[in-house]
Amino acid sequence: MHLTAGSELIQATSNGLLLGGLFALTALGLSLVLGVMRLVNLVHGEFVIVGSYLATVLLDSAGLDPLLALPLVALLAGGLAYPVQRLLLQPLARHGEQAPLLTTFALSVIAQNLLILGFTGDTRSIDRPYTRTSVALGPVTLPVIYLIAFAIALAVCAAVHVLVAHSRFGRRLRAASEDPDAAAVIGVPVARLHAITYALGGAIAGLSGALVGMAFSFTPTSGTQYLLTGFAVVVLGGLGSVKGTLLGGVLLGVAESWGALALGDGYRMLVGLVVFLILLAVRPQGLFGRAA
Amino acid sequence: MTSLIVRPQVVSRVAGAKAGRSRVPAAVVLILLGIVALAALPYLFGPYEQQVGYRILQLGALATAWNLLAGYGGLVSLGSAAFVGIGAYTATELGNALRWPLPVLLLAAAGAAAGFAVLVSPAMFRLRGLYFTVGTLALAEALRILMVDLPTFGGAGGIVLRTPTPAAYALYWWALGVAVVSTTVVLSIMATPMSLSLRAVRDDEDVARQLGVFTFWTKLGAFAVSAALIGIVGGLQAAKLGVIEPYGAFGLSWTVDIVAVAIIGGMGTRAGPWIGAVFVVLLAEFLQDYPGIHLAITGAVLIAVIRFAPQGLSGAAASALARLRDGWPGRAAR
Repeated sequence: MHLTAGSELIQATSNGLLLGGLFALTALGLSLVLGVMRLVNLVHGEFVIVGSYLATVLLDSAGLDPLLALPLVALLAGGLAYPVQRLLLQPLARHGEQAPLLTTFALSVIAQNLLILGFTGDTRSIDRPYTRTSVALGPVTLPVIYLIAFAIALAVCAAVHVLVAHSRFGRRLRAASEDPDAAAVIGVPVARLHAITYALGGAIAGLSGALVGMAFSFTPTSGTQYLLTGFAVVVLGGLGSVKGTLLGGVLLGVAESWGALALGDGYRMLVGLVVFLILLAVRPQGLFGRAA
Repeated sequence: MTSLIVRPQVVSRVAGAKAGRSRVPAAVVLILLGIVALAALPYLFGPYEQQVGYRILQLGALATAWNLLAGYGGLVSLGSAAFVGIGAYTATELGNALRWPLPVLLLAAAGAAAGFAVLVSPAMFRLRGLYFTVGTLALAEALRILMVDLPTFGGAGGIVLRTPTPAAYALYWWALGVAVVSTTVVLSIMATPMSLSLRAVRDDEDVARQLGVFTFWTKLGAFAVSAALIGIVGGLQAAKLGVIEPYGAFGLSWTVDIVAVAIIGGMGTRAGPWIGAVFVVLLAEFLQDYPGIHLAITGAVLIAVIRFAPQGLSGAAASALARLRDGWPGRAAR
């Protein structure tokens, strides 16, 4: 009896750890956009779910395997995000913080509506041989897709970390994030950087969505869930750091898995939200640290 | 010395009183006549018009309540669905258990929603600006998921109200009553010094605190009153539907509707919620044949209003009127 409980705990922890990597990936774009542009991007979850549908469409119409389609999905999602920033958000840059926030809220409503129109409200999932199988590793059995998603999440997080921390683009990005006005004075094209950041955020969100579609089922309105999970990750990990986001994702993944183990699987998401709310209340500096 | 400082205000106040003296009672008379005319609607029109009227009154009352918090207080909440849901569930549970009459149920719904607002306020008010917005959104979603998972209140299936549902015309009158109460409460608050505290908090919370505004209590008051007024609407909606379930009662679409109405009408303006409610509901009726894209079009209008008319339709109308009257660009309506 005691032994079973122990192995269940190990199983839940390793599942949570792997899923946490995927959570981090779904949150990374949100964290980038929030950190660099000071924009709470309420349409972020829809970019994730658009990625799920893009992967579905590419598989159904062109027979393209979702794993091979990942770069294309990212490119398409980024291509969708870029004009959104340029045409709709950029013009509001000097209108205070509420105008862009509420615009992204309206965009999320529009996106959900269009997704329902295009794909109906039915629950879907992407079915491939590797989304159905599991491997036994010592005491635990792990779904193959969780392992794949975790590996890809690690790789993307590492790539974004190198980009932000060690490239010329990253230096400009950090300058624009610290002080947009001063950065503009020394010749950083802040507006263009913001557009590129938003597109990059959308691309990563879309890519993570393709993985979400393989690991879970989704509907046109699932985006809200990934938006809130993303915020929870950002709060847990601290704003604007790729390493923090990864850590936050893993922490949230493990917390949700433990919650699901203790209370039942239906409470998984609730546990995440409650952790998020408590953290917001107790340690808001996780969010405000750099904004102040 | 003091009189020197005070004089300009006194002058302007006297001038304002002179200009407004004949107008204020006229406005009151006009509003009362309007309410009487609205109350007569069921005698003149059929169930369809009553239905549309109910929807306008419902959304107007909700947006009025939201406007107190977001428009005047600057606390943009995306958690309104939580208070609609709490109101609906309170009214249904108490209606089934105690058979109280509708007005008492609505009061209980208001009390429960306000109580919940007070309960979560210490956590929510640690969040400023955008983070308050995200926090309220997460709170409402958490509550919805809890109600789906928790078997106590009927779970995902919801609960049936075992008292008779009022007729369409009676519901319309109830909605009119709720709308009058909501508007009266908000306008009364805006006539007290709390109005100034609230706007001070909106414009700069730190400065307001240094100037001696009790910022926490000001925010708490607005949050609780707004929640109570939204809870009443939720309670009435439960009486209308007769069956409530978490996806509907706690649904994000409440929040979407409220935000759309208040912003399209004009945040922080008195007439805004009502102009917005009429516009949004008539737009929805106009798009009745295209239910698939109704929300997308509302969203597109919302984006256009935020971009081109930040004061909403009422602000745009006010500045257009001012331009006509004065012959130069009018000031913002705020």
